[in-house]
Amino acid sequence: MASKSAKKANLLDHHSIKHILDESVSEVVTSRGYVEDVRLSNVRLLVGTIIIVIALFAQFYKKKFPENRDFLIACIGLYVVFNGLLQLIIYTKEKDAILFTYPPAGSFTSTGLVVSSKLPRFSDMYTLTIASADPKSVSAQEPVHLTKSVTQWFTKDGVLVEGLFWKDVESLIDQYTKEPKKSK
Amino acid sequence: MTWIRQQLMKAITLGMIVGSALIIWKALVCMSGTESPVVVVLSGSMEPAFKRGDILFLYMSKDPIRAGDILVFNVDGRDIPIVHRVIQVHERQDSGEVDILTKGDSNEDDDRVLYAQGQLWLQRHHIMGRAIGSLPYAGWVTIILTEKPIIKYVLIGALGLLITI
Repeated sequence: MASKSAKKANLLDHHSIKHILDESVSEVVTSRGYVEDVRLSNVRLLVGTIIIVIALFAQFYKKKFPENRDFLIACIGLYVVFNGLLQLIIYTKEKDAILFTYPPAGSFTSTGLVVSSKLPRFSDMYTLTIASADPKSVSAQEPVHLTKSVTQWFTKDGVLVEGLFWKDVESLIDQYTKEPKKSK
Repeated sequence: MTWIRQQLMKAITLGMIVGSALIIWKALVCMSGTESPVVVVLSGSMEPAFKRGDILFLYMSKDPIRAGDILVFNVDGRDIPIVHRVIQVHERQDSGEVDILTKGDSNEDDDRVLYAQGQLWLQRHHIMGRAIGSLPYAGWVTIILTEKPIIKYVLIGALGLLITI
């Protein structure tokens, strides 16, 4: 870990700051034994590929207009349907999430984590949230939040002080796992 | 996210943007009833109505073709369509088939010199569509890209660099 070159963000670009922080969060969480759950990501890639294939079919179909009119209309319809599906999935499942995980090996919990983050456009307050992937499950805990100014973690040259950030993230993870279970 | 996954996401996102552009174009084709709903005026033969570099919007309907319509048509053996005005229409009363003669507004002669060898008239199947609207100067981009293809490669190269960096 320490052999990687220091992470530098462009302090004027808030996307760059959020991206670096999110990446580091993923590193911390996975280094704690949580394996990344890529199912949603795979679904997105699959639907995206289907959409591209539909567009290619529409473009490279053998017959020219007007014989291929019905085929084209079918393609356009399918395209709209799949795009709508993709947007629905993204809107309902992803929201602010930056990482989904499986439950750690050997633990009693049956659900993984959802890690989400927010960095509003003109603010310097980064909010990190750890919650259960399935809020209705028996082993779910209350979500925990951490809100801090990004100025606490970056030097004035934009280098991320990993030690400080890792400490904050790890203590948030501890806070989540140590929480007493929700009373039924 | 592994590096491969990230790159795959980027590639799929790019593919979806291109796919969307294609599908929007195909939807335009379906709505306008013609294989190419937008054409660029390449010559000055229709001045002063249309100048070289204008964009024309086409629409094909089953309405009867009348003298005065501005048509875009293909001639067998030529790959570039021609945009001229109908000056004569002969319609068969029983079958509705038409013989059409066209001429560019600023040309001296009618289009018989442009038609295929021995062809005196145009029929419906030669017609790509009627011009229903135009946009001046918007076609110059296409003309420049076609006549100086190096600019095309420069543009695509620049776009590619922007996306990867």
